[in-house]
Amino acid sequence: MLDIRSKLSDFYSLEQLAAKQTYLHKLHPIAKIIVTLVYIVCVVSFPRYNIHSLMPYIFYPLFVMAFADIPFSMILKRAMIALPFCLFAGISNILFDTGIYRIGTLSIGIGWISCIAILIRSLLSVCAILILVAITPFSYLMDGFRQLHTPNVLVLLFEMTYRYIAVLVEEASTMLTSYRLRYPGAKWPVIQDFGPFIGQLFIRSYQRAQRVYAAMQCRLYALGNKKPISLVWKKEDTIFVVVLTLLCVVFRMVDLTVLIGGMLC
Amino acid sequence: MLEIQEVTVTYPDGTKAVDNFSLQIPDGEHLALIGANGAGKSSLILSLVGVIESKGKIQVDDIVLTPKTISQIRTKIGIVFQNPDDQLFLPTIYDDIAFGPRNLGIDEETIKHRVLDRLELLGISHLKNKSALKMSGGEKRMAAMATILAMKPSVMVLDEPTAFLDPKARRKLINILKSLPHTMLIATHDLTFAKEVCPNCVIMKEGKVFAKGKSENLLYDEKLMDEGGVEAIGV
Repeated sequence: MLDIRSKLSDFYSLEQLAAKQTYLHKLHPIAKIIVTLVYIVCVVSFPRYNIHSLMPYIFYPLFVMAFADIPFSMILKRAMIALPFCLFAGISNILFDTGIYRIGTLSIGIGWISCIAILIRSLLSVCAILILVAITPFSYLMDGFRQLHTPNVLVLLFEMTYRYIAVLVEEASTMLTSYRLRYPGAKWPVIQDFGPFIGQLFIRSYQRAQRVYAAMQCRLYALGNKKPISLVWKKEDTIFVVVLTLLCVVFRMVDLTVLIGGMLC
Repeated sequence: MLEIQEVTVTYPDGTKAVDNFSLQIPDGEHLALIGANGAGKSSLILSLVGVIESKGKIQVDDIVLTPKTISQIRTKIGIVFQNPDDQLFLPTIYDDIAFGPRNLGIDEETIKHRVLDRLELLGISHLKNKSALKMSGGEKRMAAMATILAMKPSVMVLDEPTAFLDPKARRKLINILKSLPHTMLIATHDLTFAKEVCPNCVIMKEGKVFAKGKSENLLYDEKLMDEGGVEAIGV
């Protein structure tokens, strides 16, 4: 039971960081969402063989993690979860993109270069999203998306899924403990018990979700009729958006690595 | 004042969970609702805020429960669920306590003060940024109470508040409940707790009021309690 529960606790530990009170935490959620979106769009818009131009974009996650007091390892560990999926996408480039790229006497397959570019782009984008979650309380984040006129159905779906995961994991954890106690040596339900286990899990988590929803209703939660959180847009928010958006766009337009390299040569 | 007049709750399969139930709780009174499992206590509680549909009249102060007044009623009546895990569903306790006030559209600065004030009142300020997953049963119960108190209700309804509590946490809860000025309806099986917190009590049986009176008399009446499906104190 403990392993599943500790995983769930890990799952929420990132959001617990959002309760900190640094300068970045206090910014308006919309400001942080805009900067994250601009950052991701810039990062993914580079040509597929361009690795060196992505380098300046490493500074945004480093800067935010340092100033918002977020452990580097926590973000990196979570970002790594996305790595196998990106690698899967990148591997096809190695197989099908068979050209050769020469740096002096060194020859590298361009498939490898595009694969590495995909990995870097994905890691930077995932890091940006994780950082957004780590510096913005969940309810503010959802409210920010609502205020940006994201379709309410999408926000609701995300909100409910997010809450349902916790319910599902807790119920699974309790059932699994009970199962293991009566089936010494079994780590997971054996194949013949798996069907009833999953069925019961669904019913239990559904009932539990209904109770949670009743508790939400009692505290005035109404589907599709959410009052916006009253946060004031301040001068700092404007500065944050303007400065970081400009930096992202400049890094995208001007190849900083070539510029610095030219200055040094 | 909470007024429940001829309230009936019928489930889709025809089962009458609450049957023509009437009760009045004057301002500031703490009333215990006692009954065996399946007596209809939880159904009655959920019907008070319109989570379960009911027939009859439910009124808090001057507001009668109708589809139009449901939000007002839910602001006036705060329900503390039997299992605090059902009530704590956000990543931190701060967010959980702020959830209700945010739905009321209150500004964040006021919410912050309100949350911190409720945490202090219940002696759980240190849990502010913690997840419910890492808390004890007693801490969870206090946090669940704080989520309701942050809504500033005039009536508090508690469903089995001493469930999952050790004696020390139970004692702390008793002291806190006794100190709160709210009108309270407390559904419980814990009769010594009921006697200590509530001067009056109602015995519920098969969805109806079976008996009501002073806790110090009623809860010791072996014959009556036995007929009501519960065990008297001292048996």
